[in-house]
Amino acid sequence: MSVTPRIVLVGYGPVGARFVEDLLPAVRLGAVALTVVGAEDEEAYNRVLVAEFAVGRTDRSAMEVTDTAAAVDAGVRFVRGAHVTGIDRDARTVTLDDESVLGYDRLVLATGARANVPTLDGVDAVARDLRALLRLDHSEQGRDQRLPDGVTVLRDLADARTVRAAVEGRRRIVVLGAGVLGLEIALAAAEEGAEVCVVHHGGHPMARNLDRGGGTMLARSVVRAGVALVAHSRAEAVTYRTDDEGERHFDALVCADGKIIAGDLLVLSCGVSARAELATLAGLPTSAGVLVDDGLRSWDDPHVFAIGDCAHVAERPADYLAGARVAGGPSGLIGPGWRQAEWLAASLSAEFAASAPPPPLAAPRPALVMLKAEAVDVVSVGDVELEPWDAEPSTVDADGDRVPGRQVSQWVDPEHGRYLKMVTRGGVLEGMVCVGLPRTAAELTLLFERGSELPADRSVLLRNDGPDYAPATDSDTFAPDATVCWCNGVTVAHIHESVDAGDTTVACVGKSTRAGTGCGGCKGRIGELIERFMETEAAELPV
Amino acid sequence: MTPAPAAATHCPYCALQCAMTLTPSAAVPVRPLAAPSVTAPSVTALSVTALSVTALSVTAPSVVSSGEPRVTVSGRDFPTNRGGLCKKGWTSTVLLDSPDRIAEPMRRGADGTFSPVSWVDALDDIAERLRRGRAEHGADSVGVFGGGGLTNEKAYQLGKFARIALGTSRIDYNGRFCMSSAAAAGNRAFGVDRGLPFPLAALGSAETILVLGSNVAETMPPFIAHLEKARANGGLVVVDPRRTATVRLTENGGGTHLQPTPGSDLVLLLGLTHIVIAEKLVDERFLRERTVGFDALARSVGAWWPQRVQSVTGVPVHQLREVARRLASGRGSYILTGRGVEQHVDGTDTATAAINLALVLGLPGTPHSGYGTLTGQGNGQGGREHGQKADQLPGYRKIVDPAARAHVAAVWGVDPDDLPGAGLPAVELLNSFGQPGGVRSLLVHGSNVVVSAPNVNRVRAGLAALDLLVVCDFFFSETASLADYVLPVTQWAEEEGTMTSLEGRVIRRRKALDAPSGVRNELWIMRELARRLESPGVFSESPAEVFDELARASEGGLADYSGIDYALLDSGAPVYWPYPAGSNGTPRLFQAAFAHPDGLARIVPVTPRPAPEPLNTPGSLTLITGRLLEHYQSGAQTRRVPELNDAKPHARAELHPTTAASLGVADGDLVELGNSRGSVRAIALVTATIRPDTVFLPFHFAGSECANLLTQDATDPISGMPEFKTTAVTVRAVREEVTA
Repeated sequence: MSVTPRIVLVGYGPVGARFVEDLLPAVRLGAVALTVVGAEDEEAYNRVLVAEFAVGRTDRSAMEVTDTAAAVDAGVRFVRGAHVTGIDRDARTVTLDDESVLGYDRLVLATGARANVPTLDGVDAVARDLRALLRLDHSEQGRDQRLPDGVTVLRDLADARTVRAAVEGRRRIVVLGAGVLGLEIALAAAEEGAEVCVVHHGGHPMARNLDRGGGTMLARSVVRAGVALVAHSRAEAVTYRTDDEGERHFDALVCADGKIIAGDLLVLSCGVSARAELATLAGLPTSAGVLVDDGLRSWDDPHVFAIGDCAHVAERPADYLAGARVAGGPSGLIGPGWRQAEWLAASLSAEFAASAPPPPLAAPRPALVMLKAEAVDVVSVGDVELEPWDAEPSTVDADGDRVPGRQVSQWVDPEHGRYLKMVTRGGVLEGMVCVGLPRTAAELTLLFERGSELPADRSVLLRNDGPDYAPATDSDTFAPDATVCWCNGVTVAHIHESVDAGDTTVACVGKSTRAGTGCGGCKGRIGELIERFMETEAAELPV
Repeated sequence: MTPAPAAATHCPYCALQCAMTLTPSAAVPVRPLAAPSVTAPSVTALSVTALSVTALSVTAPSVVSSGEPRVTVSGRDFPTNRGGLCKKGWTSTVLLDSPDRIAEPMRRGADGTFSPVSWVDALDDIAERLRRGRAEHGADSVGVFGGGGLTNEKAYQLGKFARIALGTSRIDYNGRFCMSSAAAAGNRAFGVDRGLPFPLAALGSAETILVLGSNVAETMPPFIAHLEKARANGGLVVVDPRRTATVRLTENGGGTHLQPTPGSDLVLLLGLTHIVIAEKLVDERFLRERTVGFDALARSVGAWWPQRVQSVTGVPVHQLREVARRLASGRGSYILTGRGVEQHVDGTDTATAAINLALVLGLPGTPHSGYGTLTGQGNGQGGREHGQKADQLPGYRKIVDPAARAHVAAVWGVDPDDLPGAGLPAVELLNSFGQPGGVRSLLVHGSNVVVSAPNVNRVRAGLAALDLLVVCDFFFSETASLADYVLPVTQWAEEEGTMTSLEGRVIRRRKALDAPSGVRNELWIMRELARRLESPGVFSESPAEVFDELARASEGGLADYSGIDYALLDSGAPVYWPYPAGSNGTPRLFQAAFAHPDGLARIVPVTPRPAPEPLNTPGSLTLITGRLLEHYQSGAQTRRVPELNDAKPHARAELHPTTAASLGVADGDLVELGNSRGSVRAIALVTATIRPDTVFLPFHFAGSECANLLTQDATDPISGMPEFKTTAVTVRAVREEVTA
């Protein structure tokens, strides 16, 4: 190529920012020219902390994830506060909302996802299929819908500021949806003093992540933490009140069974969907996101890539028909998105800057879900519906190897709010639910991430949260092998011998055993032991 | 002969340098030491097996025939140890009359056995061979390997000897295995490296002390007296993959134990820093007025939110939050690091992460808080200041700095252009043995590299490839037994000198009794060799004179000793460096400014890198190594003290019960730990105090029990520190008893 290859990145969230950071060496070398188009005027920030920001626990400054100034210094061109409204794949250009046009040799979509707005009477529904998109005005492409006053999703900083105002005003907040994010914001807001009610249509919260046992245990903990839970409720409509100045505000959520749940702010927490409409409009295959192969390249266009929440990585089925639904989808988590960003940056650097190509991107493992809350401790991963007595026979894989069936171990202690289910295959953890057992959960998350085999005796894991994990030594301070003097390695037995041999003071015992002659911290205990052993001796004397 | 009066000195072992008094026993005559009849292996050094080396270290009574040691030990009141001593200190005098003691120079003959040789013959031959080696292969074919146990005077003189008598750049020392990562991090952040930049006793007023990767309750027991207040306030936080004796101090309300999986310390620290920033616990004013680099740090730790840290470290989120909040509570907080977090290929970055955490909390350079690293070896602090390091000149000066070269050359009376440049850090130096352009002749002082260096089989092969190996030691250590010459040297109770303890305090070592007649001080040996090599400069054998010269050489450097002399030290004054002439020294550093020219501390963002070799693969465990109360370093000394050796005669491999069960191992079984570098046999110690994914070995043992047969020689790119603390191994039960 005679001119410097041009890479255009659309989207400057945390995944886009990581891509930029990792491509900087190639940019500095002059091997590629990178242009970044970002819709938000804000610096890229850590979305993981949005809920904490929304309740005032953290500041914007703690959410920075990248150094844009360094990227600018390296020669990256930024176009901020701009939307890409169209892709011309033949001309290899993108058009922005101000009608300007950027050419590319490689286009990377990192447009992320948007929060879903469920179908509710009183809130406009927006369709984003190709027919609907074609009807939209050019400048409207890629934009999110505006929600009525008092109704918000929780995705970006603007949303978080809306929630923050309600929390700070100790308002009544209604959260629709009991997924991880819904519960996190509900619990955090309640801890900060807001009145919070969570409405969801399943039987227990986090229904996508938890089995019934874990969900039931979680529901109890959530209620104990001061959040009202309204289960089995399908929201149907939103009603409004009009204030003195004629402004319409959210007033209540109306459920299918006629329940009316009043509040000051409605937070819609009903999952997210990829922002894939640019690809859809450009005729690229999309399903739950932009369909890309395991090299993150669009199924239909070798010059277009997608990473992060807008990317749907899947193998193209032989019988794929345009528009058909494809299994799987974006994980919705930052970790896998970052790995994609790093891998693609390395791969493009290898292509254009002659650096070493990265090893193939590992298939993402099922993602751990950890509820971020102070009072409630929940971790889950994988498919956890299997029950202990569900026998699963072993099978034989394509290579003829035996694949053992899954096994389940379970611990249920409703009185103390503890629940653990471990789904293993050949001893390796494939799924789990862990409620109210924080140390056990920590150990299991580590073992899951590594793919390590669990201890054959699973109860060993539970003991991480048991009293013997950090034993109160009171029970065994008189055991013969208990160490009294660490400095000199002197045990209770040594001191007993010394007392038996006639030492009756701390100084004497110190002289014969060296106990207490180091830091001196054990002298009190030595005194106690002398007294105790002398009493025993006295008791043993014939009367 | 009238016995000398009682000598107020310090313990020969660790950097706590507990004060002790040695009182000669009047009635006991000095026993003439018989030359031990030692048969060294006649085969090549490489094939020295565990058993044959062990055969050299005969355990025997520790006292002279009369049954009384020639000196008695008593604790002496001092701010660090408050009169207390540990088991090692109490038994230290046993080594003075050990039957293993080498009484005169020993030369290895053609048949591989050692026989006595006169000092004159030994030194003549050594000097001649050094001269020849230099002539034939260049000055850098001669190497010097020093130790962190040498006095300041010896360490200084050794650096000078290498640079001007041998003219070699190839000098480094075993402190590279201990303090180099924390030193590099301290220099980078603060502009100077003094292990504890505050007096140790200051810890006694803190309510929160975070100890990362250090087991002080076993390694320097009298230290724990300074943790009392923190424990009383529930504020002792210990980070260790094992529930060590130090961790036990957190029980019963003393504090918290964080038990991360090995190799995840850096992530743990990034996670704590993330929480401090996210929860707005930072000291904004401190960051603004006394540091640079916070913004980049805040961005870099943004990626390490607590849940993610939990899934990498195994430490629960709530513990992370508790510890971060506790550290920020403002009632006197210290962060201390040890080898557990520093001996890694990312050790410099891990120590930096600990410093960054301290800086965002506003701890360093304030009156009641701080950051420090716990120096291990007796003179690990002084030993890293005065020129034993490959890249360094006295006073903690850089050897590549023209002004430093000019200053030191003037003190030494040589032309600055005649000083060699920077040499190679320890592992590279060891790996150069016998290689083209590498070291062919080696002098070893105060180090036992075939036990203490990583990947010991490679070190053994390297030593075997040398043309000449000269070892100064008291005993036939495992390294000495591979030497061409072993030169017997004085022990601590037989010499004068100074040490610089873990708190940067310069203290006096004093002579309590005469050395056996055939034994010499290393200052004398260097003088004699320098003379034979027609070296420029003065090589005094008087410690006081050498110290005065050291003081002049250090003047204006970071570790400035120019205001110190023996008279000042003998007055009992607490002398903390930097101590420029005319000053009163510096008990507490950084009170007004950090040591960078602008006075600001540097916050340097660090990120985790993949482990040098994959860990936690199916069937593997992660080996970590450490110390036992009874032993010190390579065990060359403590394994010769019967009381200590009887208590801990062998390496025992600690395994979690669930791991042991899956391996079919019971407590007390013989197990073999192996990987591509070697294998170790040890008795299993089955205990729930270790993580199930981890196995622990003490590193004090030799032969087939030597933990460093397994460790790797990958090193930290900044400090040259080897990766001692994460080693992938497989463990299996040894069913039939096999004896070599």
